[in-house]
Amino acid sequence: MSYSAAFKDHLANPRNVGELPEASVVVEENNPVCGDRLRLSLIVRAETIEAARYLAYGCPPTLVSGSVLTELIVGTTIEAAKKLTRNDLLNAIGGLPSRKHHAATLAIEALKKALP
Amino acid sequence: MTERRIYLDHSATTPVDPRVAEAMARAVVQVFGNPSSVHGYGQQARAAVDRARREVAALIDARPNEIVFTSGGTEANNLAIRGACEASVAHGQHIITSAIEHPSVRGVCAALEQRGWEVTRLPVYENGIVRVEDVREAIRPDTVLVSVMLANNEIGTMQPVAEIGAIVRELRAAKQRHLFLHTDAVQAAGRMTLNVEELGCDLLTMSAHKLYAPKGIGALYVRRGVKLTGQNIGGHQERERRAGTENVPGILAFGEAARLAGEELNERTTHDSLLRERFEQKVTDLIPDIVLNGDRRQRLPHLSNISFRYIEGEGLLINLDLQGVAVSTGSACSSGTLEPSPVIRALGVSDEVARGSIRFSFGKENNESEVDYVVEVLVQAVERLRALSPLNRPLVVS
Repeated sequence: MSYSAAFKDHLANPRNVGELPEASVVVEENNPVCGDRLRLSLIVRAETIEAARYLAYGCPPTLVSGSVLTELIVGTTIEAAKKLTRNDLLNAIGGLPSRKHHAATLAIEALKKALP
Repeated sequence: MTERRIYLDHSATTPVDPRVAEAMARAVVQVFGNPSSVHGYGQQARAAVDRARREVAALIDARPNEIVFTSGGTEANNLAIRGACEASVAHGQHIITSAIEHPSVRGVCAALEQRGWEVTRLPVYENGIVRVEDVREAIRPDTVLVSVMLANNEIGTMQPVAEIGAIVRELRAAKQRHLFLHTDAVQAAGRMTLNVEELGCDLLTMSAHKLYAPKGIGALYVRRGVKLTGQNIGGHQERERRAGTENVPGILAFGEAARLAGEELNERTTHDSLLRERFEQKVTDLIPDIVLNGDRRQRLPHLSNISFRYIEGEGLLINLDLQGVAVSTGSACSSGTLEPSPVIRALGVSDEVARGSIRFSFGKENNESEVDYVVEVLVQAVERLRALSPLNRPLVVS
């Protein structure tokens, strides 16, 4: 287990945790193989993601992927958010072992599901 | 992030006792002879190994010549099961074991299965204990070996080995059966009074690094008269059971650790169980939605396995590690598999409960102030992770 400093920071101090009572959209994605789960709530106004919150259950990479994802998308346009890839997320996390890449995939899938 | 470091993973391994380290260092420098050599250097090493063998034998009330030193618990389990089965193949090809054995026992049984052996894996129930009547029912005319661990490494539950031993002996005596009992006592040896006569076992596995000695040394007790096919081929060491020049420094360290464990057994057991009691009391009072895994009474004194609902074990483990607290988890993530611990699953709990399990195992260098600190950081970590969990909140899709 050799996680990056960014990873550990997000795990100890997750950002944007919770749900948005005024959310424009709430989605939940789960990985049927390992049972990991990620819930994403967004407030979208004028084609821009104004706020994002997440909840996650699963291994640390899943928890961290949710936290990092919300940081990446708040303030961006829907168009820009749609272009976000798993690799962008992995880079922002500071890398994950390949067998944990599915955690980043889950977060990107949730985002795709939330966007129009 | 923090200066404080607390080790609560004594079931994984223990810190080396300074007295054991000293004995080992002396051996490395002063006892370099080969115990098989006829000259004085060799005889000095042989005498030292024999003293250590007596100490290890005393830990389980066995005769010294019934102790075979190995490289550790895994090798001892391999030698016991493969060795006994290979020597017994003319009498049958059926093994009985439990669903909660250590991977080294599980793996050897699975490997024998690949070679045509039949394996019955006895269930445990929600208390994590094998039922004696299940063992009795599972024994067939072609059963040659029963292998049931003495105490489980993840949940600490004690298995009814003495009762199983009585059945095996009774059958062996009545029907002149070729049937033996092996028990993996890696977690129990040095943590409770053990007597191979009372246990009725024919083979018993021990590992030194669970009792404050270094890694790389273990032992198999082989009852007088039990035939084993050696798995290491070469010289005549260990009465033909395990070829290879003896790990003299390791053996002397094991001997010293066994002597100390015997001397300090009551003190250590009381110490560990008081810390465990303090810990479980506080955790139960302060953290809701937890499951204490395994039987409350029939278990090792130093170990506590708790599932924290709605969260996954590895996240909790890393959070605790960042605060200087070392524990382990049966969650799938840290084991590198997708399935959570087979041991916790064998208790009949859900995947979610299995994934949220953490093992805390105490040892002689821990103290009450450490327990209080661990509880403090544990409460915070569980709250933080639960705040993150979608499992206890209904999903309202917009």
